[in-house]
Amino acid sequence: MSKLLAGRCVLVVEDEMLILMMIEDMLSDLGCESVITASSVDLALAKIDAHTIDVAMLDSNLGGNSSDPIADALAERHVPFFFATGQKNGAMERGYQDRPVLKKPFSREALEARFRQLLSGTE
Amino acid sequence: MPEIANKTDEQVEAEADVDSFRKDLGPFVVATEMTRMAMVFTDAKEPNYPIVFANDSFLELTGYERKDVLGNPFNSLMAVGVSAESLAQVEAAFEGDCDIDPEIHYRRKDGSEFWASLFISAVRDEAGVVVQHFISLVDLTRYKQEQAQSNMLIDELNHRVKNTLSTVQSIAWQALRNSSDPEVIRESMESRLFALSCSHDLLTRENWDGAELLDLVNEALKPFAASNGRADRINVRGDKIRVPPKAALALGIAIHELATNAAKYGAFSNALGSIEVNWAIEQGEGGERLVLHWQEKDGPPVTPPSRKGFGSRVIERGLVHELDARVTLEYRPGGVACTIDMPAPKAGSNE
Repeated sequence: MSKLLAGRCVLVVEDEMLILMMIEDMLSDLGCESVITASSVDLALAKIDAHTIDVAMLDSNLGGNSSDPIADALAERHVPFFFATGQKNGAMERGYQDRPVLKKPFSREALEARFRQLLSGTE
Repeated sequence: MPEIANKTDEQVEAEADVDSFRKDLGPFVVATEMTRMAMVFTDAKEPNYPIVFANDSFLELTGYERKDVLGNPFNSLMAVGVSAESLAQVEAAFEGDCDIDPEIHYRRKDGSEFWASLFISAVRDEAGVVVQHFISLVDLTRYKQEQAQSNMLIDELNHRVKNTLSTVQSIAWQALRNSSDPEVIRESMESRLFALSCSHDLLTRENWDGAELLDLVNEALKPFAASNGRADRINVRGDKIRVPPKAALALGIAIHELATNAAKYGAFSNALGSIEVNWAIEQGEGGERLVLHWQEKDGPPVTPPSRKGFGSRVIERGLVHELDARVTLEYRPGGVACTIDMPAPKAGSNE
């Protein structure tokens, strides 16, 4: 398995703990040793302020709230990110239609492909 | 009356048309005036289909007064904000070129919006020439609102189903990562799926509006209380408090994991042990907190597990993450003790 995420700091915004646990395992399989997690917009914004994040994945719907404010903060810092969503059209109604989307449920391979897509644009 | 002097030629002419109309058609005009269906007649001899008659229901539906509508082209009257495409559809219906009755999103005089379905039919004279159009409008506003509501529910359902499938995937993933014994894998997947299903049942009974914590804890413990007289060895009590759906699912899984551990190694693994679950609302620095204690006693002597499994991960990390909780899980020699200290759910919160 590739160690695509070795040495990278990844922000995962996901409000369902069981889904998050699986994502953490998937990221660990991809060599990631530094995963920052948040379950709400406020917590995610605080963590973006406190850490240097290389790449991020965002659940588009956090307990009924849109994750757009998090996307705004990441875009401002030029941190590449994609959305993970179970929604038909995603929730990218304004501003972020061009961002990659990972449909839930997803495999580790699909997750890896999304990160590869984002990271191929950097370094 | 002074208003008469202010009337435009078109208005005067239109009203004369209606008068002749009334004379010719007598009772039908009265019926049209009285019906609850919105109706208008337009003049086919003039360009742009000016309105020559509008009943009270039409005025009520659109918020216009009779003087606003008589003599005015039908299409321009309510056209503020109506798409060009819709206007073309109405135009086509007037020309008889439209197979379906147009559904139009209109604006009332006061700017508020309504949906109407238009039925347009041509009125011909003896020679077969179209002299007027008769238009009836059915108010679709409520139907459209219900449709929008139902689309929203379908989207929400889809969101939940996809998240639930991801959760099931996670349960399978954890089971396969933690064991290679098919029996152990089957048992661990099934018991967690049943626990999740139990919480879903409870929430469905409450219209996904949340659940009483007491019901939630009792439901989660039910599979473990069923045998060996364990029901008498469980003591559950606490303040009456409602937990929102997401927190209910998370707590349901956590209680299930604590009970699973108790049945394998703790107070439910012998004939004597008992479990006490209690909770209370306490005043914390940042507001009210819900503090829940799980305490096992009289089980076999406890030794801390050599590695952290799914259960302790859910409790120690998952709840911290999802509920913003402070959690302590202690393998005390006298029995496992767990404290979940979380912001008290606010009434009406849906998170």
